[in-house]
Amino acid sequence: MIEIRQLAKAFALEKGQKLSEAELQDVRYTGRSFCSVRDVSFSCKQGDVIGLLGPNGAGKTTTLRMLSTALKPDAGSIWLDGQDVLRDPLLARRKIGFLSSSTGLYGRLTAFENVAYFARLHGMSEVALRQRIDELFTMLDMHSFASRRAELMSSGMKQKTAIARAVVHSPALVVLDEPTTGLDIMTTQTVLDFIRGLKAAGTPVIFSTHHLDEVSSLCDRVVVIHQGSSAFDGSLTTFSQLSPQGDLRQAFMAVIKQESA
Amino acid sequence: MWQVYLKELLELSRDRKTLMFVILLPILIFPVIFGLLGLVAANVTANAQAEEHRYVIINGDKAPVFAEKLFYHKNFKQVTTTLTEPEALRQAVRAGEFDLAVIIPADFDGASAQLRQSQWTFIYNTAPVMDLIGNYLKDLVKEYSLQLQLVRLETVGITGPQVDAVLEPVKINKISSAENRENLGEKLGGWIAYLLVPLCFMGCSYPAIDIAAGEKERGTLETLLICPISRTNLVLGKFLTVLTTGLATALITVLSFGGWGYLIGSLAGVDIVAKAMAALGLVDLMLILAMLIPLTMIFASALLSLSIYARSFKEAQNYIGPMSILVFVPLALALLPGVELTWKTALIPMTNISLCIKELVKGTIDMGILSLVIASTVLLAGVLIAFCVHWFQREKVLFR
Repeated sequence: MIEIRQLAKAFALEKGQKLSEAELQDVRYTGRSFCSVRDVSFSCKQGDVIGLLGPNGAGKTTTLRMLSTALKPDAGSIWLDGQDVLRDPLLARRKIGFLSSSTGLYGRLTAFENVAYFARLHGMSEVALRQRIDELFTMLDMHSFASRRAELMSSGMKQKTAIARAVVHSPALVVLDEPTTGLDIMTTQTVLDFIRGLKAAGTPVIFSTHHLDEVSSLCDRVVVIHQGSSAFDGSLTTFSQLSPQGDLRQAFMAVIKQESA
Repeated sequence: MWQVYLKELLELSRDRKTLMFVILLPILIFPVIFGLLGLVAANVTANAQAEEHRYVIINGDKAPVFAEKLFYHKNFKQVTTTLTEPEALRQAVRAGEFDLAVIIPADFDGASAQLRQSQWTFIYNTAPVMDLIGNYLKDLVKEYSLQLQLVRLETVGITGPQVDAVLEPVKINKISSAENRENLGEKLGGWIAYLLVPLCFMGCSYPAIDIAAGEKERGTLETLLICPISRTNLVLGKFLTVLTTGLATALITVLSFGGWGYLIGSLAGVDIVAKAMAALGLVDLMLILAMLIPLTMIFASALLSLSIYARSFKEAQNYIGPMSILVFVPLALALLPGVELTWKTALIPMTNISLCIKELVKGTIDMGILSLVIASTVLLAGVLIAFCVHWFQREKVLFR
């Protein structure tokens, strides 16, 4: 379905930017650039839910941004349904639904207008988009605030709207960057239920998270990224077996320790 | 591209700041500000003209006719002083004891017909822009001098029509080849550009900040970048939005001023707007507005490029603030005396548009130069749009 091979992405450091002692020890700093992603590879099959784990600054967001074509990799390749994403990013964008870590809504547009705008950008007809929005708003229980401006919504409402916007075009692959960060329990549950719904429908999902309970309840596979490289890529069962007690936290720490060593 | 354009317009139309800049400011606030300024200026002038200035006259008895004219002038009131020396009188004027000291030489005799020039001294504050005391004195001296001239000419046997021949040996009958419109254009043409061009800039600046730096700050840009729309179409959609608001601001302001001018003119019995419109003609008016299009394209692309580079709304404001001052420099250049629309000045951005508008208002535009101005402005706009599109492709700019 999607295959990522040896992705790498470096960013130039700001002029005059001084590096700390810790940064000087970090292998990702080379000369005047910071290699946010050095070597990330993994694949995702139909119906898979992949949890992307890693400490803060490991390169998860940069990887997801490259996957969603917002950023162009310096090296490596991304193949989606046998097509080269880097060669034809527009085609990939039609097939990927992406939810960034910020909801990224237009404050002066209503929930309906926000979702409809992106549906139009995906080339959906007025009839099709209305039907799809109605379906999504029912699924996410959004009808009560459909005509409310985003600037007046609660964070839960915003997150629901952002999810609806990300999947309005019925993407073949859904990518979510820390979708439950900063949400209350009720909204988190809505998001998790939504991911379960996608899984049940056979839609592959890749999402980054720091919540290991979400990984344990949703994921088939786990990818750990550490210092810009894939440190682990395998099934949830294999990952949990890295800890003698099957504890995901300990498994995660074991991977990080091993990589750091 | 059109989806982006329509969405941006919808969003901007719901933004109070944009509505204020594009609609409220030109329709209500500008006319109110200019109206108030006019009212204040009129009041200040009226008060100044009604003001009574205290004066002292030294040796007034030597020129009784002049002293009498001064005494009965409605803006002067005589006071007395014991001072006679110029420096002492100057200090007294500075101290506010009186406003004017007139020193007539002790040897002057207004009644005599001596053919000798006399030098009088007027001491007053010449600093005010409206030199009212100076103007009053000039009129009084002119009138008094004419009387003396007539008396003196009579003593040497010059009377009747000969007087005019001596006082004004050559009388000029000036016939202007310029039409009223040309005179109007010379006086007002440069100022029209001075008003319209900054309006276009102002109309572009806030929306450019909002839909580029603002979008970056709100986190919506990333979501937009992963939609199946090319970045060229994306930036062109935004560019068209900024262009629309810039032109709308200028157009609304012109219509607003025209409307208010017509209304006030009708009420006050002054038909200056109707006269100006009749002199200008529809084609010229359309040409003036058409010239603003490539100019606003320059502003829109430059402002959008700056704004997308900024990390935040505030940073964009910091870049664009000083740029607004730069707009006035080429416009001020066009207002300088002697700066005309030539093949060379036709290549100076903004100055050329300003000079062109002036020539259009005057009705003396050279179509060849006009074409060059339009071509050079369109070319510059094209280069800046291309740069803006290129700028939007750069990750270093979008993800700073």
